[in-house]
Amino acid sequence: MEARPAFSIQRSGAKQLGNLGVSGVLSSSLPLVPTPLEETCPKLPGSQQVSMERELMTRPLVHASHLPYNNEVVGHLFSSSAGFSTDLQYSSVTPREKHSRNTPFISQSSANTASLLMSQSSSPALLQSTTSSHYINENSASWCPEPLPGFLDFPTNTTIQNNQIESNSCAGVMASEEFGKRNDWQEWADQLITDDDALTSNWNELLADTSIADMEPKMAYQVSKPSSNIPVQHSQVHPQLPSPSAEIRPVLTPTSTANSAPTKPRMRWTPELHEAFVEAVNNLGGSERATPKGVLKLMKVEGLTIYHVKSHLQKYRTARYRPESSEGSSEKRLTSIDEISSLDLKTGIEITEALQLQMEVQKRLHEQLEIQRNLQLRIEEQGRHLQMMFEKQCKSGIDVVKAASSALENPSTLSSDAIQDAPAKTELETAQVDCSKTPTDTIFASPALEEGSQDLNRKHKVSQTETPENSEPYNTDSSLQPAKRSRADA
Amino acid sequence: MKFGKRLKQQVQETLPDWRDKFLSYKELKKLVRLISSAPPFLNGSSEYGKSEAEFVRLLNCEIDKFNAFFMEQEEDFIIRHEALKQRIQKVIDTWGATASQPSEAEYKEQMGKIRKDIVNLHGEMVLLENYSNINYTGLAKILKKYDKRTGGLLRLAFIRKVLEEPFFITDLVSKLVKQCENMIDAVFQQRKKKRKTKGEKQ
Repeated sequence: MEARPAFSIQRSGAKQLGNLGVSGVLSSSLPLVPTPLEETCPKLPGSQQVSMERELMTRPLVHASHLPYNNEVVGHLFSSSAGFSTDLQYSSVTPREKHSRNTPFISQSSANTASLLMSQSSSPALLQSTTSSHYINENSASWCPEPLPGFLDFPTNTTIQNNQIESNSCAGVMASEEFGKRNDWQEWADQLITDDDALTSNWNELLADTSIADMEPKMAYQVSKPSSNIPVQHSQVHPQLPSPSAEIRPVLTPTSTANSAPTKPRMRWTPELHEAFVEAVNNLGGSERATPKGVLKLMKVEGLTIYHVKSHLQKYRTARYRPESSEGSSEKRLTSIDEISSLDLKTGIEITEALQLQMEVQKRLHEQLEIQRNLQLRIEEQGRHLQMMFEKQCKSGIDVVKAASSALENPSTLSSDAIQDAPAKTELETAQVDCSKTPTDTIFASPALEEGSQDLNRKHKVSQTETPENSEPYNTDSSLQPAKRSRADA
Repeated sequence: MKFGKRLKQQVQETLPDWRDKFLSYKELKKLVRLISSAPPFLNGSSEYGKSEAEFVRLLNCEIDKFNAFFMEQEEDFIIRHEALKQRIQKVIDTWGATASQPSEAEYKEQMGKIRKDIVNLHGEMVLLENYSNINYTGLAKILKKYDKRTGGLLRLAFIRKVLEEPFFITDLVSKLVKQCENMIDAVFQQRKKKRKTKGEKQ
């Protein structure tokens, strides 16, 4: 494996790293990613079977595990207002805020992934999605007194339905709402920030109510309104979230959505943004005195929420506290330093040399990782390129086959079944039979054209390579594609 | 060595704290085995669709995990990087050659600490890059396994999507790494300069 040298070198380098207190640093940053989050995904594969029923059962479990992580933010989300419906209202506010950030991310990949995963979603869920999406429209409209630029198609019905729909809408709002209303939500967010954690339990119930269908409406929305995405203007702000990916993939459990709703949206900070942050903090009198609200106002970055600023400020304070405390202690030792300076010099040199060596190792590791990454990108690119070439070639080859075997009249159903069920090897063998049938197939269905080209592809491969097992993944993929997709349709 | 084994070994040796943040390769492999050994090839197969959906769901969950962790770490690195820069400036200003109260010893000591911190930060960033790489590799491998075992064609489209995921786009971390390298070169030079001037004085 090409990565082997990188791994072996890194192990030794990392060991040295560990000695220098990496773990200490890690432990300071890890509390920010509490254990419940760690438990979510690894738990899922272990606890769940392939069946959907199990999935439904375990979802509440995962919800609960997510909540402590969101505790702080959830507490902020819910002010001391009582009542489940109001909680929902508040909760649906912030998800929308957060989702403003998801827009660019979603717009890039939603089309692709939606089309990819649409075929995989179960039909009953879809049915429910259409109904709940309607409610989502209404509920979201109730939140926006003024129509948002992207939401012009939303009805102005302000009724709030029962709990079921509320919970659906809450989750759905996250997915469906585009993020034009960031500024309004900032005001909402300001009002919401308190130190009350009392309503976490309500959030538990809320999460428990959400079902798979919640994801469906989101996805439906994403697919239906690619144009209504409001792009984030700032090049500095790179909003990337697990929640947007949750919305793009309808099969995801509500845990992801539930997770994204109360927690800070996963925004991608950049150095420029951070510099603006630092400037704002300094203008407000330092990290201790600055408040998230003040910093947010000073920064004037669109799409930035108070939650982003809050968490970032917290990290900032932690990062500055340690170096400052060490500096303070060193000043006291100033007088004694001169006395032992000669001794220190020697060990200082050794330490410096060791550091330099470590730095060299790390530099090389970094280079190797970069190379590895570029290689991975190149491999995928190559695969895509080759597939395109095959398709082009096959399309031109199909005309030849058409002319050659226009008289053939084999029943198409027989071979299609065979194709679908057979593993790759036998598929390639039967491909020769299929190739002859492709002309007739193409006449009947347009997707079959691609399918036919794939069959020709397989035929060529059999004659040329004679090693179906060794063919690149994309070759296998393309040969199997008709089996799984087009054949079923045809 | 098998990937799953090597993954485990490497995580254990370098970042045991991050164990849960890495790809759950073993679990996913088990799932693939389960799917492939289960009654396969039902025509039209809602069953197949379900299991594939489940697999995709888990993969997406993993990707979310990666994204969240990666971006969190990235944010930390940005903050620490900036803090280091400020510290360097402060040390130069307070105890440097041209400062208000130049102090060779103090300067050296502070710079020594800063140097250590730079190297640490650099190392951690490299580890994060490695994290991203390993997880990507694991995903690619498990997708390939899935396609091979079940005859699906999940891999191509899915991996294309993965390439656009934030955890895989490590440009920012890479840039920070290079800046760290420049920083430490500058700091080392500073130190050398100081020693030179001291030598000249004496």
